[in-house]
Amino acid sequence: MRNGTIFDIKEFSIHDGPGVRITVFMKGCPLRCLWCHNPEGFSVQPQLMYKKNLCTNCGKCFLPCNHPECAPFNRCIHACQNGCLSVSGQTLTSNELTEKLLSYQSFLSISDGGITFSGGEPLLQADFILEVAKQLPHIHKAIQTSGFSDFETYKKTIDGFDYILQDIKIADDVMHKKYTGVSNRNILENIEYLKQIGKPFVLRLPLIPGITDTEENLKAVSQIAGDFPVELLRYNMLAGVKYEMLGLRYPLSDIHNSSKDYTRFFKNAILK
Amino acid sequence: MKKELLEYIVSKKHHVFRREIPELENMAEIFKSQGLSSKERMTQRFERLSELETPVLLENEKICFLRTIKNIPDIFTTDEWQKIKEKHFIHELGYMSNLCPNYEKAIRVGLLEIQKEADVYGKRIIDAIFKLSDRYKAEAEKQGKCALSKILERVPRYGASSFYEALQFFRIIHCSLWLEGNYHVTIGRIDQYIYPYLKNDLEKGIYTRETALELLEDFFISFNKDSDLYPGVQQGDNGQSMVLGGVTAEGKDAFNLLSELCLEASGNLLLIDPKINLRVNKNTPLEVYEKGAELTKAGLGFPQYSNDDVVIEGLTRLGYELKDARNYAIAACWEYIIPNYGADVANIGALSFPKIIDTCLHRDMENCETFADFMQAVEKEIRNETKSMCSRIQNLWFVPSPFMHALFDGGIYEGGKYNNFGFHGTGIATAADSLAAIQLHVYDQKTISADTLIQAVDSDFKDYSALLPILRYETPKMGNNEDLPDQNAVWLLHIFSDSLKGQTNCRGGIYRAGTGSAMYYLWHANEIGASPDGRRKGEPFGTNFSPSLFARIHGPISVIQSFTKPELSSAINGGPLTLEFAASMFQGEDSIKKIAIFIKSYIKMGGHQLQLNAVNSALMKDAQEHPERHQQLVVRIWGWSAYFVALDKEYQEHVIRRQQYQL
Repeated sequence: MRNGTIFDIKEFSIHDGPGVRITVFMKGCPLRCLWCHNPEGFSVQPQLMYKKNLCTNCGKCFLPCNHPECAPFNRCIHACQNGCLSVSGQTLTSNELTEKLLSYQSFLSISDGGITFSGGEPLLQADFILEVAKQLPHIHKAIQTSGFSDFETYKKTIDGFDYILQDIKIADDVMHKKYTGVSNRNILENIEYLKQIGKPFVLRLPLIPGITDTEENLKAVSQIAGDFPVELLRYNMLAGVKYEMLGLRYPLSDIHNSSKDYTRFFKNAILK
Repeated sequence: MKKELLEYIVSKKHHVFRREIPELENMAEIFKSQGLSSKERMTQRFERLSELETPVLLENEKICFLRTIKNIPDIFTTDEWQKIKEKHFIHELGYMSNLCPNYEKAIRVGLLEIQKEADVYGKRIIDAIFKLSDRYKAEAEKQGKCALSKILERVPRYGASSFYEALQFFRIIHCSLWLEGNYHVTIGRIDQYIYPYLKNDLEKGIYTRETALELLEDFFISFNKDSDLYPGVQQGDNGQSMVLGGVTAEGKDAFNLLSELCLEASGNLLLIDPKINLRVNKNTPLEVYEKGAELTKAGLGFPQYSNDDVVIEGLTRLGYELKDARNYAIAACWEYIIPNYGADVANIGALSFPKIIDTCLHRDMENCETFADFMQAVEKEIRNETKSMCSRIQNLWFVPSPFMHALFDGGIYEGGKYNNFGFHGTGIATAADSLAAIQLHVYDQKTISADTLIQAVDSDFKDYSALLPILRYETPKMGNNEDLPDQNAVWLLHIFSDSLKGQTNCRGGIYRAGTGSAMYYLWHANEIGASPDGRRKGEPFGTNFSPSLFARIHGPISVIQSFTKPELSSAINGGPLTLEFAASMFQGEDSIKKIAIFIKSYIKMGGHQLQLNAVNSALMKDAQEHPERHQQLVVRIWGWSAYFVALDKEYQEHVIRRQQYQL
């Protein structure tokens, strides 16, 4: 049995696949997209989240404690009376995660909903999520992925899921490297595979002003997408909110959404 | 939509027609000196007020009748009330409230027919209504409003013969009931008793869907004309509750075109009255839920959903006849009442679950060896408390309302077919969580001693700051689908309901246990100090049937899983699970459908009643001032959601701005 690390289970996510979804966020990601709104998904290590606006500077969390789980943070995570501190990142066995997800089974069967694995990058923990997925045979399962992995991993993971939400951010490899930190070569290869196998999927393009929403990029992505459906995701103006909680700086502050008609570049696009 | 009328009423321009008559205020003194009976006083007051009323027809309205006298004087002096209260249990203001009379019959047969069977006082009041409506008719003629004057020629004397007449008829009855001094005058199943008139007119081609909607909107606006004059705890607390959909007395689907138009009218007007309740069941088509979700999106806080599968079952188990149970309406906020037959007093008192726990914590815990012992003490205290609540309600008396009496088959002075009393049950999550904390820390793990817990609670955790986060954030809470607290709630509700079994009230009826809180989530919270669940002194309980305000909740699915564990048909006085969704979650067609699925799932899982709110910017501004009160407030931010209060100020401001764009 394998261990995996998650940072959240989000109930009733509306935009993460067909029907009512429960989304599991896997911790750890090889990409560093500048606009990422889930920075706690970058590192696979547990991280301290600190909600500054609830803090009264009482200092109680700095008093020494003997909790082993507090040791990495030099703070007592159990001390805050205002609920400012929490740890993002929980390592659990595939059986433990399965059990958590099965607690939603009756709701999911009543609502005809499903479970979506997101992240972070779920492919980083492919064997773990496959172990979980195998134990959920009667539940609709989706995966939301950057597609960044070797082909073998991509193939075996995709094969274990019913629906794929496949990101496609930047078509040009140089630009992709610049803004996400990695090459898109294997991503595009994996997308070609996805297009061939006949499994339901949607391509997802975040509209980042001046980065991914350029005419050049939209046209290139449209070429790749062809007739397949593309979801165009508006830039999340609140994307930076979690950076401060983690003591990080958000690289893309002060950019704004545009009201341009993006769908015209595509044969089959939905603006979300 | 008739924007002019809406704007006119919203901007309160019609208040110019109002006047206050100070000399009316000595009415009770005069009545007293004349030694008049209560019925005589009620009748004379109505006659006097209706004579003083000025018929006003607003420029763009089709449905008329407007209150112009602001003050309704009491019919008893303070001394007289004192004497009455020595002999009787007086509910709230003492006047009849929260009743749903037989509108269907009155509108069908006309008030002349009702008058025949009314007592002498009812006859006089109906005459006074005729006089006032005749003056309205004369005013309509004077202003050349022929259609209206023609309508008033028929109604309210004779049964309505058209959709327009039926709506105008209702308006006259409704105004008259308020003028008589009744309050929380409930509307009932208007889509059932008005529909035949609409259907007929549509078939004859008198109305199209659009023109019918326009008239209905005019009618809806009428509920907002005088509502600020109605008594209530807060403005808007006036019991103008409308019930749509559900099943017929024969059990057939009752959702019709008028139900649909009512939802639409409400969404178009965005007014706080009438309050919409939507009756649904597990077989109700998803489209109906979607229409409901569309209205929720408007941010008004309704519709409130009521599950026929659970409610009808629960009511029949309490002894309501099946055909009556199927015809249930809503009185006041969420309390179930049967039109024409129900003289229930559904909000006669409230049990505070957290107070029970608080009492047992201080009085019994030191003698309880095991958690089972402690539960036994809690059970005993609940049974004692409800018994004492029941015994305090003796010789219930209401000021007799002759017109209300006339509108019930068989009358209402001495009660009706059903004379049951309802108790709210407040702070269920606070109590269930407190029990969970006691069980876990004091009895199972023995990490906190009984004394320590009591001292921590009594000192509002002042010298126990390390305990507070453990109790508050790290002990299981109801709403996360964890059995430890949830099963306590199941048990508490069961004991509450069971303790009322076999008790007969002073009107020969029974008692109903419920899950509502009304304002007691504040009042009861202030009766006790801090609680073992880590609730600080002065913090309110959750509203109605909902998680504690500060609980770290996984999400709405866990909430409905937790809150459908109790057998809700056995605590069926009313009181909804209350959830607040950020308005941003309602964006897009797909979202409405998913929210509809969510609501339907709650119904299928055995939920009894649901209050789902699209949260508005005013609430979020309050959340900025008082983050501790709005811990559960969720805002959806593209691919993820956040607790609003956990966002930094600048992001909060941003969401508030977005909300305003939506509005």
